[in-house]
Formats: sequence, structure tokens, C-alpha cells
Amino acid sequence: MMINSSLLLSITTFAYMVCALFYLAGVIFRYRPLLLSGSLLGLAAFLLQTVAILLRWQESYQLGYGHAPLSNLYESLVFGAWAIMLIYLIFEYRTGQRALGVFPSICAFLAMAYASFSPSVDARIQPLVPALKSNWLIAHVIACFLGYAAFAVAAGVSVLYLVRKSVKTNPHPKGIIALFPDPKQLDEFNYQLILFGFLWLSLGIITGSVWANSAWGNYWSWDPKETWSLITWLIYAAMLHARSVQGWRGTRVAWLSLVGFACVLFTYFGVNFLLSGLHSYATQ
Amino acid sequence: MPLKPGLLQSLQQTLASMKLSIFVFLTLAVCSLLGTLLPQGLTEHELHSRFSPGMARLIELLGLHDLYHTGWFRFLLLLLATNLIVCTLQRLPKTVSQLKHRDESIEPEKLTKFIQHQVFDVNATLDQLKPRLQQVVAAEFAAIQPVENSEVFAGVVETGRWSRWMVYLVHLSVLLILIGALIGSLAGFKGFMNIAEGSASQEVHLYRGNQTITLPFAVRCDDFDVTFYDMGAPKEYRSDLTIIDGGKDVLQGSIIVNDPLTYNGVTLYQSSYGAILKEAEVEFTDKESGTAQRMVLPFGEAKTIPGTADRVQIVDYQQDMAQFGPALGIALQREGEPPKGSWILVKMPQFHGNKIDNYHINVIQTVDGYYTGLQVKKDPGVWVVYTGFIAMMLGIGMTFYSSHRKLWIWAGPAGSGSRRTRIVLAGRSNKNPVAFEKDFQRLCERLQTDLQPTGERD
Repeated sequence: MMINSSLLLSITTFAYMVCALFYLAGVIFRYRPLLLSGSLLGLAAFLLQTVAILLRWQESYQLGYGHAPLSNLYESLVFGAWAIMLIYLIFEYRTGQRALGVFPSICAFLAMAYASFSPSVDARIQPLVPALKSNWLIAHVIACFLGYAAFAVAAGVSVLYLVRKSVKTNPHPKGIIALFPDPKQLDEFNYQLILFGFLWLSLGIITGSVWANSAWGNYWSWDPKETWSLITWLIYAAMLHARSVQGWRGTRVAWLSLVGFACVLFTYFGVNFLLSGLHSYATQ
Repeated sequence: MPLKPGLLQSLQQTLASMKLSIFVFLTLAVCSLLGTLLPQGLTEHELHSRFSPGMARLIELLGLHDLYHTGWFRFLLLLLATNLIVCTLQRLPKTVSQLKHRDESIEPEKLTKFIQHQVFDVNATLDQLKPRLQQVVAAEFAAIQPVENSEVFAGVVETGRWSRWMVYLVHLSVLLILIGALIGSLAGFKGFMNIAEGSASQEVHLYRGNQTITLPFAVRCDDFDVTFYDMGAPKEYRSDLTIIDGGKDVLQGSIIVNDPLTYNGVTLYQSSYGAILKEAEVEFTDKESGTAQRMVLPFGEAKTIPGTADRVQIVDYQQDMAQFGPALGIALQREGEPPKGSWILVKMPQFHGNKIDNYHINVIQTVDGYYTGLQVKKDPGVWVVYTGFIAMMLGIGMTFYSSHRKLWIWAGPAGSGSRRTRIVLAGRSNKNPVAFEKDFQRLCERLQTDLQPTGERD
């Protein structure tokens, strides 16, 4: 059988599903080796996906188009899954908290599954339309997706925070909750991830803006996608200010983080399907 | 009557409050959201045909069909800027005095009140351990700046003092972006011009206000070309342009999407294109005499049919006339008569309407040309905005990933006449307390092991 990027991406999709199941089972049965298996499989799938993305890049050259695989809905979903796993694996390595992998691995699997199985998502390598032929494409997409990915992991941490917080008394030492870090630590993780995401989101908006100015002569045109990314930015900006100056902590910050992530999802999916604008090529 | 000082003060306090900032952030978010749900840039006519009369009136009253340019939306942006400036002015002096503050003396009792503090005794005299203490602290954080104090050793260590300024850099960047946008809207313009291949134009139709302005130079489109991929998707739009200033060709360049041309602060972007008729070969058959004349008619240029005094001209062109394919609008001008005209279908020579007066008209062939659609922009504020962008990235990066850390160190005899030395350490960081706690603990552990006299360490 020919090894090509679509085969590797199919394997990746399957591997992320098994990885999510490992994490989930590890949490439910409170069995740490399962969590470790999840991490290792996640890492392996991530590396495989990296190879697949590079291979797809090369394949586009063979087809005579020659562009980075970041140009349409399929490629952005694949890259989104890759970015989530990248951010999460680094996060897991630095904090040593394996139990937080459930949410990111499910997200990565869902993104890959949607990209692979939805009939409305075209997986073929297509040529670039003239508007996308710019070096800003790579910078813009990478910056935005690293931001989105960090917000996704932060949303997962926030959900855990809210669950953890709802258990009032000291958790049973053998309960599921005991696997998770204490609320104060979760709050700090949430904050650090959002800081990271905010930095990249800002860079994503700025590179998009500079690009738009060089392509259309408009660094800001209130296009729905632009506007929604600004809405997302404003919400996280409000959260960062509330936390650092007003001293907001915990529950309220977790909810704002979830609202912010809902905006991220709308910026990505909602705008593509419900509103039209400059980014309409992202729906094909 | 002057405002009551209380009122002025409370206004200032409101403008400086973080609650207002958060309120403005979220209000801007909600209003921007509204603008993405309602179609923007509708004409009055479209507005009334899409919405009920009451709804349309409400939308017009609030300007919801052009939300981002309404007065109240700009007021929100102004409020954000004001809030930012007042906040900055109020906090800046605090930051300055905080950074200027020099500890005149360090008292061990006060240090133990810090969240991060440690006290431990070392079996050595102060003179013996002092060089090592300085060395370790310098390696882990930075050099100790001694604070004058008799008999004992005391000092402070500071890193990342500049990090306190970074938040102001971010705020400045937001102001720069807003100012740049203001400069652009006051001193710039945005519009479009359509230029047929081979012709030149100076007129720019502005997007806003339905106006036309005349550029101080002319733009000629020498050639336009569009290429396609095998599958039919467009690959590249390219216009070869020449700038004519003072009657001379001063600049030539070809532009593609993402690669514009700038002359005298005015930038030309490839934005659209369209097909136009360049010329057509047309046959005029006089039904009465039966004579046929073939002529090449350039678009818009009147010519006389040989052997007659009748002048004909292609005045209009449609690529698809009511689904009958391309059609030429031809006008016939006779001495002493009002001009007559008709649509002539190119692909249907037998069509009964292909005639004007006594002529049956047959289009032999058409030669297409293109016009290029250019977006024309002048925005002197764009560099201010870009400076703001750079400042914002630097500022956000450094605000979040640096912290101002300060350590206080006191070392003195553990008791009167004791040969043992007591060391008291305290520390504080303005950001990332978790990471700071780790680093502080590591320093303390290293000091405790390193400062013990060699004999006592195994």
C-alpha cells in the first residue's frame, strides 16, 4: 500500500480516539498506567501527524501547487488538532498532570474525525486562490491556531475546575477527583494557558491585519471573522484585567474562560458557516 | 458654575476604574457581535425591503446597518481610550515611586511577615559566609545591593524592574492603533477605479459617501491577465500599470493580489477584473439594396458605413443578455434624425431583432479585452498602527513572561555574642507566584547547603 498523507492522517484519527479512550478510562478507573498509555499514544500520534502534515506539504508540490497545508477547512482542522496536542503535550510535560488529557485528546479526535468523515469537508489538495498566496498565510494561521489550541486546553482545565469546585469537602482519596490537581493549581494553569493563548491570538490578529493591508489595502474592515476574533480578544482581555487588577479568581475566571472558548469556536466554525465574508474560502 | 470638586473627583475615579474597563471591553464585544449578525452596508432601499417598517426605522435610528461607523460606537472607542489614559495617569506615579523606593533599613521582624520568607541559622560568622552568600544569590537571582546597616549585613536583590513598564507599553500600543486609525480616516481615502486595458484614468470612486476624487496623477493599465489552474480555479490576476505624472510615464510596475504598487503615498491593489468588449467585426446588410459591408468597430468609436452617410457605434456590451448570450448595443446616427439603437445578439445571427431600420446586422466576431478593478488607498496612519502592533506584541510578550522580583536579605548574629549567623530571606514577585515560589525555595535550599562550613558538610 502506498504511504501517503491521507493514510497517515487516518491512522492519526484512530490513534487520537484510542488516546482519548485511554485518558478517559484512566480517569474513570483511577488507573495511572492507562493515563501513561494515553500520553505515550498521544505523543506517537502527534509525531505521526507531524510527518503526515509535512508529507501533504510535499505532495502539494508534486501536484504543482506548492503551498503549506493550511489553506482550507480540512487542512485547518488537521492543523487545529495538531496544535491542541502540541500545546497539551508540552503542558503535560511541564506540569506532570496526565489526568488533564481527556478534554484535549477528545478535541483533537473530534477535529480529525470531522475533517475525515464529514461529506462537506473536501480533503483534496487544492490550489491556492490568489488572495491566499502570501507568506503571511503561514504566520497568520499558525499564530491563530496556537492561540485557539491554548484556549481549548484552558477550557478543559476550566471545566475540571468547575467540577472540582463543586465537590465541597475534601475529596475521597480514592475518588476520581483525587487524580486532579487542587483548584488553586487548576486556576493558575487556566491563567497561564490563557496568557499564552492571548499572546498568540494577538499575533494572529496582527499578522492577519498586516496581510489584509497588503492584499486589500485595509488593515481592518470589520469582516465577520475579524470582528469575532476581536470579540474573543476583548473577552480574554477583560478576563486578564479582572484577574490581575480586580483579583478575580477561580469560578468566575473559569466561566469567562469557557465563554472565551465558545467565542473561539464561533470565530472558527460559526463565522464560516453562518456569516459570509473575506474568509469564505475556509468553508470549502 | 464650577463643578463640585466631589463630582469631578468621582467622575475621574469612574473613568480610572478597572470596572469601567471591563464594562467597556464587554460592551464593545457585545456591540461588535450585533454588527456581525445584522448585514452591514445596506442601502436604504435594501433595508426597507428586508425589514418591516418599524424594524427598519429602528435600525436606521441606531445606525445598526453601519454600526462600526456610528457615533455611539466611536464613543465607546473614545471611552476605552479615555479610560486607558486616565488609568495610566493614575497608576504611573505609583509605579514610579515603587521603582524609586529605596529600602533605608531592613528589619528581620518585618521580613518574616512576607508570604515567601525563610529563616535559618548557619554555623559560621557573618564575615566567613558573606562572600559565599553574595555569590550564590548572584548566581540564582542577581547581585545584592547592600543596604547600609550597622553590624549586620543586609541588602536587596531586584530583577525585571523594567517589566513594570511593559503594561504601559501595551496600553500605549492600543492608543497608537486608535490614533493611527483616526489619522487614516481623517487624512486618507479608500476607493476603487476600473481601468480598461490600454486606457488611463485619474478618477477614484470612494466607498463611502458616493463621491469621486481626482488623483494628482493618472494610472494607465497596459495589460491585464488572468490565469487559471487546470481545474478552473483562478491562479493569478495581474495588471501591468504605468503611473503618468505631469504628462510623463514615471513608474511602471505589475501588481498581483498581495503585491500592490505605491506612488506618492497612494497604493493600488489588484481587487477585481471584468471582461469588456475591445472591438467587433460587424456586417451591415442593407435590406433595400442588398449590399453588405463588413467593418471593424472599436468599442465606443463611431464609424461611417462605406458608401453611406450613416454612422454606427458600439455603445454597450452585455456578456449575457437575458440568457441569449453576448449582445452588442449598437447605435445608428443619421443626419437630421434622432439616433436609433438596438441590442444585437452575437451568437444568434437569425434573431429577428438583429436590425436597425433598413440594416440587418450580423456580428462576425468579437474581440474581448479586460478592465482591471483596482482598490485605491491612501492611509498616512498605517505606520502609526503598525508601530502600535509592534509595541503591542513586545508589550504583551514581556508583560506576561517577565516579572519584577525583589528579595530582601538580612544576615546577623543569631544571638548576642553567638558565633552562629542567622539569615532571613523574604521575597515578592508581581507575577507568576507559583514559579517564584519554586525559585525562592531553590535559592533557600542552596544557601542552606552551601553556607555550612566545609567541615560540617559531609
